Amino acid sequence: MSPSATYQQRLVTSRLLHRFNFGPTPGQYGNLLRHGLDATVATVLEYGRPDPGLTAVGPLPMANLGPYPNGNSAKADAFWKAMQKDTNDLVMWWLDRMVAAQYPLAERMTWFWHGHWATSISAINYPFPMKKQYNTLRQHALGNFRDMAKAMVVDGALNVWLNNDQNFIAAPNENLAREFMELMTIGVGHYTQDDVAAAALALTGYSTDYPTGRVTLNPKTHFDVPLSILGTLEHFNAQSLADLVVSRSENATFIANRLWFRFVSSTSTPPPTLAQSFAHRDIMALVSALAHSSAWTDPANTMVKSPVEWFVGACRALKVRPSKLNSGDVQWLLSQMGQLPFNPPNVGGWTFGTAWLSGVSFQYRFELAQMIVSAGDLAPLAVEPLNMVQACADWLGVAEWSPRTANALTLALATPSELALAAILSPEYMVSA
Amino acid sequence: MIQCEFDRRRFLQWTGASVAAAMTTQLSFESLANAASRSPLPAKTPILVLVTLYGGNDGLNTVVPYTDPVYRSVRANIALNSSQVLPFSPTMGFNASMPMIRDLFGRRKVAVVQGVSYPDPNLSHFASMAIWQSASLTGEPTGWIGRWLDQQPHSPFNAIAVGSTLPPAFVGQQTVASMVDVGGMQLPWGPVATVLPRLGGRAATDGTLEAAAAGSIADLYATAQRVGPHIPKSRSGSWINQQLSLVSALINANVPTRVWEVNVASFDTHTGEVGDQNSLLSDVDTAIGAFMKKISAGDRANDVTVMIYSEFGRRVASNASQGTDHGTAAPVFLIGNRVKGGLYGEQPPLKHLDPNGNLKVTTDFRSVYGGVLHDVLGTPVGDIIPGWKSALSVH
Repeated sequence: MSPSATYQQRLVTSRLLHRFNFGPTPGQYGNLLRHGLDATVATVLEYGRPDPGLTAVGPLPMANLGPYPNGNSAKADAFWKAMQKDTNDLVMWWLDRMVAAQYPLAERMTWFWHGHWATSISAINYPFPMKKQYNTLRQHALGNFRDMAKAMVVDGALNVWLNNDQNFIAAPNENLAREFMELMTIGVGHYTQDDVAAAALALTGYSTDYPTGRVTLNPKTHFDVPLSILGTLEHFNAQSLADLVVSRSENATFIANRLWFRFVSSTSTPPPTLAQSFAHRDIMALVSALAHSSAWTDPANTMVKSPVEWFVGACRALKVRPSKLNSGDVQWLLSQMGQLPFNPPNVGGWTFGTAWLSGVSFQYRFELAQMIVSAGDLAPLAVEPLNMVQACADWLGVAEWSPRTANALTLALATPSELALAAILSPEYMVSA
Repeated sequence: MIQCEFDRRRFLQWTGASVAAAMTTQLSFESLANAASRSPLPAKTPILVLVTLYGGNDGLNTVVPYTDPVYRSVRANIALNSSQVLPFSPTMGFNASMPMIRDLFGRRKVAVVQGVSYPDPNLSHFASMAIWQSASLTGEPTGWIGRWLDQQPHSPFNAIAVGSTLPPAFVGQQTVASMVDVGGMQLPWGPVATVLPRLGGRAATDGTLEAAAAGSIADLYATAQRVGPHIPKSRSGSWINQQLSLVSALINANVPTRVWEVNVASFDTHTGEVGDQNSLLSDVDTAIGAFMKKISAGDRANDVTVMIYSEFGRRVASNASQGTDHGTAAPVFLIGNRVKGGLYGEQPPLKHLDPNGNLKVTTDFRSVYGGVLHDVLGTPVGDIIPGWKSALSVH
């Protein structure tokens, strides 16, 4: 398709598409190879325009289901069914958005932030507050990190997940205070235990309404005495605490490192200059600096696609809307592979790298791949048999097949569905080279 | 039940054990298969299988004093009657959801240790489970099996937890246990099945991660060949059944592992207890029955001891929502062909409760661990549980 493109051009274009956009739509990889790298960077960073793909998915209306019902009754039955349906719909709706987006950067970044704030629905149980948190992360996904941190520190699902609803002046619970600093803003080593204890007091008085995730501050139960946190002595509440922590210079390094770790390489460290692009806590500026980085040509910066990234990428290429598949099977298989949206395993977020590549998980990958291919549009494979293997690489955005994979794919040429199946299950497609 | 859902994940989140879990090894079936053929567990080596019931299993509706008038009156809305128990004495019976364990008990292969907990029981899931798993009342950061691991010649196979998160009991000072994923081995099917194994081959152009991705395919096929015949094909049955099926298969394949851990969550029955607990106990009972059958048919019939425990029992009086709140002492089960079956310790009286309306502790859990350490792991108790020497032997 693009015989003139060098391996390096193919590699960088593939990386940019997979890391920032969940992978190419049919034909997109070849187009971008023709338009060159600057155009590719501009395309993957496209953000803020109305997105017809998302319009087609539509909104997800969700009702406030109210408190848990008592005992067994038809009403209680209906409540639990609605809980289950709304949770299921929320997961499928988000997967649909990732797949359908024409400008996927915002969904990709929301997905990153979901792993960063790592809140599982298993604590608050209600899907409504999880959708609310999704909206918050989506709203600030490429905005200002300070606004995001101030919104998230009073997010209901996060407050319940990290036990801030059990944080009382007489018996402080430090969970939110500690993780907010350690995992979400400045990183371990940049605060003391005294800072954690004081921050926990700053976070007292906030209670969460489970069904809606609404967080309210009760001045009577809030510790309203000057506290010393990170060397600053003043009256603190959740927002002023977030403001203070985000102002620390460590915050720029910490967030820049987190993005590097998830987008570029889980094994190397970013150049010190990367954090400078985050001086104003402008997330788009940081993402743009990453996309323009010279790191993309470094062969070492390979990453394993997480199960959701792999699944969404394959659905984008094969034009499959996840919610049209059997949603129970999709969610079960993703959870067996270890990554169901809204269910990170712990506050540290999703794992990475070779942890996604167990033999056991390959069984589930195979089943998911089968579901995608049977529902998929295989038109891009309608080419001369001689060109099919290369067409497959261009279609999926793979820089180059190894001789091993090229040989294996050649054995499947007779049946396009088998070829597609083998291609999305290939080592080259499980990773982003 | 769902309001207070307590499982290992939330426990780990609280205790920070996920940090230690980051150091752990996720074992592939291929590495287990290799270990089983290169360094099989020597014959007659005792093996311990821990079954953790997260959430606090109600001991009084498990081993039921069903004729006790106090039992019948203070938990009238959830008391089991004579048709809902499998009696083993004029006054006591197992929950009727446990026919397999009742049968094993009749054949004297089940030791029921009564009234087990620790001094001044704490009603928090987290504090209580931390005490059980560390075998320490004072917040020891290591687990009891972890400290045993520290003393063993290093091998990733010494202790294995099934699932994706490591229990704190398996974390030592220098060593942590390994983990293995549950799940039947199902090879890809259809025409593509002839193509996929080739994708698992090596390529000179592979980087580390491509090689690992190819390795995931090769691992599935290699394992299916080597340990496949031992590994359950289907994912049938409950979660606990899937875990125990895998453990019995790996034990029978002579994997060099001394301690295994499997777990079940959702015993936190604050509401609608009878239906929920019966169904959970039935899952455990079915799984244990099948496990013992498979073990008894293999070369390890006399080597395996199963220990079933929970972080606490539940309040003696039931609450208004047909459930029970957090309590204290409860029975611990030890099961095995070499176990001397019967009742051990004293059933705490229902008439003399602690100030919170909970059972008084009649057996310290460290004595049960002591017996297991001595009889199964062949280790002096005091080395693992500082300051503790007593061992309640059921072997």
